[in-house]
Amino acid sequence: MVLKLIKKEFYEFKKTGKLIAIIITFLLFSIMSPITAKVMPELIKSISSEITIIVPPPTWKDAFLQFFKNLNQMVFLIVVLLFIGSVAEEKNRKTAGLIVSKGVDRKKWILAKFFFQISLVFILTLIAFFLCYYYSVILFPDTNFEIPLQSCILFFIYMTFIVSLTIFSSSLGNNIIQAGGIFIVIFIILGILNMFPSIKNYNPIYLSSLENQWITTGIKWSSALKTTISSIILSILLVSIGVYLFNSQELE
Amino acid sequence: MSIITTERLCKYFKGKKALDNLNLEIPKGIIFGYLGPNGAGKTTTIRVLLNLAKPTGGTAYILGEDIRKSRNYLRKVGFLPDVPNFYNFFTAREFLSFIADITDIENPKKRIEETLELVGLRNEKSRIGTYSRGMKQRLGLAQALLSDPELLILDEPTSSLDPQGRKEVLDLIYSLKSTKTVFFSTHILSDVERICDRIGILKEGRLLLEDSIENIKKRYWKRRILIEVDDLEKFLERIKESLKPNSVEVKNSSVVIEVLDIQYTLKEIPKIVVQDGLLLEKLEILEPSLEDIFLEVTSGA
Ligand SMILES: Nc1ncnc2c1ncn2[C@@H]1O[C@H](COP(=O)(O)OP(=O)(O)OP(=O)(O)O)[C@@H](O)[C@H]1O
Ligand SMILES: [Mg+2]
Repeated sequence: MVLKLIKKEFYEFKKTGKLIAIIITFLLFSIMSPITAKVMPELIKSISSEITIIVPPPTWKDAFLQFFKNLNQMVFLIVVLLFIGSVAEEKNRKTAGLIVSKGVDRKKWILAKFFFQISLVFILTLIAFFLCYYYSVILFPDTNFEIPLQSCILFFIYMTFIVSLTIFSSSLGNNIIQAGGIFIVIFIILGILNMFPSIKNYNPIYLSSLENQWITTGIKWSSALKTTISSIILSILLVSIGVYLFNSQELE
Repeated sequence: MSIITTERLCKYFKGKKALDNLNLEIPKGIIFGYLGPNGAGKTTTIRVLLNLAKPTGGTAYILGEDIRKSRNYLRKVGFLPDVPNFYNFFTAREFLSFIADITDIENPKKRIEETLELVGLRNEKSRIGTYSRGMKQRLGLAQALLSDPELLILDEPTSSLDPQGRKEVLDLIYSLKSTKTVFFSTHILSDVERICDRIGILKEGRLLLEDSIENIKKRYWKRRILIEVDDLEKFLERIKESLKPNSVEVKNSSVVIEVLDIQYTLKEIPKIVVQDGLLLEKLEILEPSLEDIFLEVTSGA
């Protein structure tokens, strides 16, 4: 059943142009990142020809710092925008009620959405990484493979949490606006909590800064362990609560 | 065996009793018309029966299953929502094949074509997003019928159809009678009169009346006769003394009288006409329409 429902999600993404939008976003920023890293210093130099600023020559690290910065900004934004209405809008448009009234299990219905979103992000992140790596090697032959790949794993854990949060927000809200509001509020709270050093290590948001940290200083799983574990636990919790809430909701 | 049985079913929304101790029993193989003015609680009943909303009190049994304990019966029920809304990106065919997929329908291709033919959407190739309301209602009927369910629950199935479409859909529902039980809500009384075996009238969450159409008509049968003569005043004087009607109602050039003994009245009127040399222009025995009964029942309570 879950697979059949995932198939529908995929079809919906394809038909509504969401699929092409998310693919283009991922690909665009993965290709752009190494190129930007390469030409940026040149650009800065050419703009300020009067004074000479000393810009260190770019390395592969700049390429991947750029990559993760893009993933955490534009790609993050597109992912949230495309996923946030997944449950809420179906409630709003009453299609959720229709499908559930056919005896489809509510839990499976939500989980299908979750698995679809997670797989899509996983596959695209992987492709994006290899693309970025490919162009980085062309521009910076000494590009490291291990470090950015492991940073990618951090990003993926982070996105698992974010997708769980969108599923949760979407299950709670009755339309895309409410769902978006819930997401933003929780995200801002997490951002504020991230300023307290004592609990920072347990905050999934911290993963996004670790990605960059690893690129500059090398992989250190010991420093990411707490964050990884708490992110995974929080993700499971969010999806479970989302399923529970949806199960007890009255639909139209 | 009853297909739907509700026992003291209640549904309250913040201080509002949308359903109040509803006791319904719907036998197998009939077409049941569920009537009631706007806001009576028809859609609420349907939502509770389909497990989309939880009862505040009481319960219901559908196809022998307690709706609070099981959701298996949903596989044997077809449902048409009041405002049909489907995935706009699908075409009708794609949508039905998705429904067929998740409800494990055998031989889906053949079944989809049959159903599309049945509701007159066979040649429709565009996306659902472009459909008119009536077309969506037809598609709604198609998705409800697709799995060949034992019970059909239709929330105002003809509300946005043109006269031709309404007739087609009513004929279609009527043709299902031998194999299915149909529960449908509506406020269109002529639809009910045309195809229903039994009706229930709901108002403010309470069932005011539930019976077969025949019985209801018998119960609300009034012995009413409409008469038109050339000299109404003279005629009125005469009938008041000789027939002693329960009520006399003058409308334009005709009079409607309500009497106890209709046989006697029908014998007396021609006598009066002949004796007084009147011209009898019209004589009609009035059957109560369902509309009269509906208005009487719902305004009385
Ligand atoms: N989710 C809800 N929250 C609060 N009140 C509700 C809700 N759903 C229905 N009601 C109320 O319950 C009552 C019954 O509504 P319902 O939709 O069942 O009426 P209906 O008989 O289907 O009317 P119509 O003929 O207009 O479709 C109405 O007064 C409505 O305001
Ligand atoms: Mg209604």
